[in-house]
Amino acid sequence: MSPEETRSGTKTLQLVSRSTYVREWILQALFFACAFVFVLAVALIFVFVGWKALPIFTDYSFWKFISGTEWSASSQQFGILPLIVGSLIVTLGALALGTPLAVGTAVFLSDVASPRVRKFVRPAVELLAGIPSVVYGFFGIILLRAVVARFTGTLGFGAFTAWIVLAIMIVPTLAALSEDALLSIPEGIREASYAMGATQWQTIYKVVVPAAKIGIIDAIILGMGRAIGETMAVLMVVGNAPVFPKGIFAPLSTMTSQIVMDMPYAVGLHRTALFAMAAMLFVFSMLLVASVRLLSRLRD
Amino acid sequence: MHRRALLAGVVLIALLLVVPLAGCASGPKHTEQITVSGSTTLLPIAEQSGEAFHKHHPEISVLVSGLGSSAGIEAVSAGTANIGTSSRDLKPEEGPLGLIDTPVAYDGIAVIVSPGNRVDNLTMEQLRDIFSGKITNWKDVGGEDRPIDLVNRDEASGTREAFKKIVMGDASFDTRAAVLPGTGQVRDVVARAQGAVGYISLGFVEPRFSDVRVKALTVDGVTASDVTVANSTYPIGRTLHFFTKGEPTGATKQYIDFVLSDEVQKGVVVDAGFIPIAMRGAQ
Repeated sequence: MSPEETRSGTKTLQLVSRSTYVREWILQALFFACAFVFVLAVALIFVFVGWKALPIFTDYSFWKFISGTEWSASSQQFGILPLIVGSLIVTLGALALGTPLAVGTAVFLSDVASPRVRKFVRPAVELLAGIPSVVYGFFGIILLRAVVARFTGTLGFGAFTAWIVLAIMIVPTLAALSEDALLSIPEGIREASYAMGATQWQTIYKVVVPAAKIGIIDAIILGMGRAIGETMAVLMVVGNAPVFPKGIFAPLSTMTSQIVMDMPYAVGLHRTALFAMAAMLFVFSMLLVASVRLLSRLRD
Repeated sequence: MHRRALLAGVVLIALLLVVPLAGCASGPKHTEQITVSGSTTLLPIAEQSGEAFHKHHPEISVLVSGLGSSAGIEAVSAGTANIGTSSRDLKPEEGPLGLIDTPVAYDGIAVIVSPGNRVDNLTMEQLRDIFSGKITNWKDVGGEDRPIDLVNRDEASGTREAFKKIVMGDASFDTRAAVLPGTGQVRDVVARAQGAVGYISLGFVEPRFSDVRVKALTVDGVTASDVTVANSTYPIGRTLHFFTKGEPTGATKQYIDFVLSDEVQKGVVVDAGFIPIAMRGAQ
């Protein structure tokens, strides 16, 4: 490692001057620092959230917290079951709506569209992915909610409105990832299918999509992560009633939106409950990430 | 090189810390300070009028904190605040504290429905039953056969607090109600939904920033207006108070007089959605 060693080492190393060597080393250290700071930040957040959430075990009861059906700060009841159910309803519904749309878009982009059409559609999809979520929420509350309200005679808040807004939000992510999965299927497999006399449609749904299955499931899980963590857009359209909704047009609330609603004035046990809910979200997303990793191991 | 950078950093941080302090020390000297403590509802009035007052009288500064009405009454009677602000009247047991009441504004809450709703009047009891979820259809209160969609405010809202205290009493809100974080949103949603009912501060019923209309219901047969709130015939209203220990004197009196002046009453008070005290006893 010392200059002497370098000089007496291989020819390529001799070509590297001392300043280049130092620069390389600094860059290495810099990249390491970047990764380290990031990991440290995540770890610190996790520790902080967990630490702040801890009193839920001692001052409340974890079981009451998980299984309670009443969330009311004024009567000190912090049962998050309706919020968990709300998050699941909103997320799963959005996935059910968004997945077919996204996979369809991905198939279109990877197997159907001509290069010229692709040149227009792909940037559009990418643009959708980059729009801040509050814009979707704004669209949802101003336009979509009013339309839903008119057609159903309700307030327009509820799972249905959230599904549509969230579906539009997660489709770009889902579509881009699914397209990657489809493109990673070797051209030879498609050619083999055509050689067997299969039509394009048969090739797509019998060969290409099944072959890219795990990649697509990967995409769905990541989309689920985005949907479950989405806050602002959801907050604006769900109606924020922490109850089991009576229908898809009735107000409900999710974990993330409830945190935002209550944050400004939560003190004491209420704040603890919010942190505990944040910890739950942390656990949820860790499970999602773990399942993605498990799946990619399956694929390799 | 590293050491020099470190040194520069330390010096910079030290400068950042010291300069604002120096700025403070060389600023105008406050000879007097008025402490105003209490209701969060009154915060906008107290804060904004306090700032304006400080501009008129640079030698007096007004320190405002919002901890709740009871805390304000507690503080002023204990002598830790010059003025205790409160959005409720004194309780009987607070009578002997020797507090002098200066009403500074009125606050009324209107119950609103969409303009197409056939219902014009609700009694306090009907309101309580509607917002606690006992009555769920408009036909039970004289309207058409349509489910009632409740629109509530978030728990941090002072309007919700007041509505709960005045209308709900011991009953609790129906948790199935939509919870919206702002007056504007409540107004907007109710205006466009046939079955909706909500409540907002009286000052926001008439469209100011919006082209949609809402209908304010009469409660117990009384129309909500500045006049009916000020003379207490409209039931969902309250008086906002400044309490002082004994008659206000000196700077405290100057400040209270300023709050009661037209500059504040017609400016800050009206802008915050409250009703000026000059409406008192109006017919």
